Amino acid sequence: MTSPPIVADHLTKRFGHDRGISDVSLVVEQGELFGFLGPNGAGKSTTIRCLLGLYRPNTGQARVLGTDPAAGDAAFLAQVGYLPGELRLPERLTGAEVLAAFRRMRGAHDTAYESGLVRRFSVELDRPIGTLSKGNKQKLGLVLAFAHRPQVLVLDEPTSGLDPLLQDEFAALLRETAADGRTVLLSSHDLDEVQRVVQRVAIIRSGRIVVDDTVASLRAAAPRTVELTFDHEVDAQSLAAVPGVTMTRPIGRHIVLTHTGSAGPVLAAIAPMQPDTITARPADLEELFLRLYGEDTDGN
Amino acid sequence: MGTELTRLDLRLRRRMLVGTAVGAAAYLFLVIAVYPTFRHDSAMDAMVAANPAASSAFGITGSITSPEGWLSANMYANFGPLLGLLLTIGYGSAAIAGQDREGLLGLLATLPVRRRRIVAAKSLALLVGALVVPLVSYAVCLLGPRFELQPRWGALLGVSVALTLLVFDLGAVALLVGAITGSRGAAMGVASATAAAAYLISSLSPVVDSIHAVRWVSPFFWAVGDDQVTGGVTIQELAALTGLGAALFGATVVAFRRLDVN
Repeated sequence: MTSPPIVADHLTKRFGHDRGISDVSLVVEQGELFGFLGPNGAGKSTTIRCLLGLYRPNTGQARVLGTDPAAGDAAFLAQVGYLPGELRLPERLTGAEVLAAFRRMRGAHDTAYESGLVRRFSVELDRPIGTLSKGNKQKLGLVLAFAHRPQVLVLDEPTSGLDPLLQDEFAALLRETAADGRTVLLSSHDLDEVQRVVQRVAIIRSGRIVVDDTVASLRAAAPRTVELTFDHEVDAQSLAAVPGVTMTRPIGRHIVLTHTGSAGPVLAAIAPMQPDTITARPADLEELFLRLYGEDTDGN
Repeated sequence: MGTELTRLDLRLRRRMLVGTAVGAAAYLFLVIAVYPTFRHDSAMDAMVAANPAASSAFGITGSITSPEGWLSANMYANFGPLLGLLLTIGYGSAAIAGQDREGLLGLLATLPVRRRRIVAAKSLALLVGALVVPLVSYAVCLLGPRFELQPRWGALLGVSVALTLLVFDLGAVALLVGAITGSRGAAMGVASATAAAAYLISSLSPVVDSIHAVRWVSPFFWAVGDDQVTGGVTIQELAALTGLGAALFGATVVAFRRLDVN
């Protein structure tokens, strides 16, 4: 039985007393789209750099494609595609020159696939990198990461700067990549970006993993929002007493609440109040996400 | 694959390499072109002889009006190394620490090239940078006979090789400090301070007894500080310069393997 392509086993990497990651463990299976979420500064990029061998962990071990990435083995690196969170490319070179240089450094690979990606993302090839917008640089970075069809892709904030149409195109590319049996770890601070495409997510906060679960399970556990309006004054206390209900706007004739678990007890409490309108929104991971982010997000 | 990294780095510094080459060539051509005016100026030799300490500080020893003395005093003992060091210390501090700070090195370090080969590729680019001033200078010196300047060509060739190795070694100090610290400022600072100290030890050794005793620690002394433009470079001096470069390369490989790349 082959080991999963990405394994982090109790990784700890400290920078001073209160920065870095502690005891980070995660496993990404082959062909999986894995979301790695957390607020800025939570430790996403540090974890990613440990997985790529750019950082050496203080303790713990990473195994990517069965190899210790810190060994820097060229055969291993040939199977990995990486998009850094802060993409920097030589500003005087054109996109075409950068692609050609990286192609030569990676050895020959299927240029037809690379050309297809260039067309698909409408990458600007003829202008110097220094004159490109953030989004256009990001498109070039995506092509650099995907062009050699790596077995493992590690993408740090990949849609940063991309317009919505290209975000959809990128999501389609991720699905194709996973369908091809290749593995993607996708980091982001934006839940919306991730929940559309990944099957599983880990959430990191203050350097520690606080959630590692499937999107479906998280969605089932996530709070649902119900909005009620009335043509008369109501007493919201009976609703607040229902287990799993949190009142977010218990004011006058307009009530907004969130609830987790079964909808039956909530509907039973609402019915005698004779609401004028009821609007129920689907389970929103954002609520869960914000709760898990906690003070990190509040601080921002 | 590794040589592609060399090409990339040289491409990124092409303007500086070309600019320095043109500047060095123009300066040295001027020095050579005015030589006939000074070659019989015994007052200049007398002035140097009367002010040995000040002359030594500028790397001037012996006759300044001989072809070798003229080239040494105006190029090989001072401006030549200085121009070469601008290239090599500048590149050495940028190649690892600078690119790490800019965020480019992280992407390059995930390409299928081992870190030892990355250091080798950057050392090769450093060597190309180190060659620029000595090579251009030697080429311009070939115009010397048209201006009554006929140096000892073998000795000058040896000094050109030694000068290449000297500026390579001090650039390699910057590369090493960058690989240890990841700090471009530290790399540039330590390499520049090392170069300045080495220059002072070499240039002042003829006039300061306490420095004279330790002149052999200075790579400047091995390359241009012992009147090599006249007497030639010894095998031992070339071996010392080569050995220092090899040792710095090895240390940089070890340090870069341990460096956290951003």
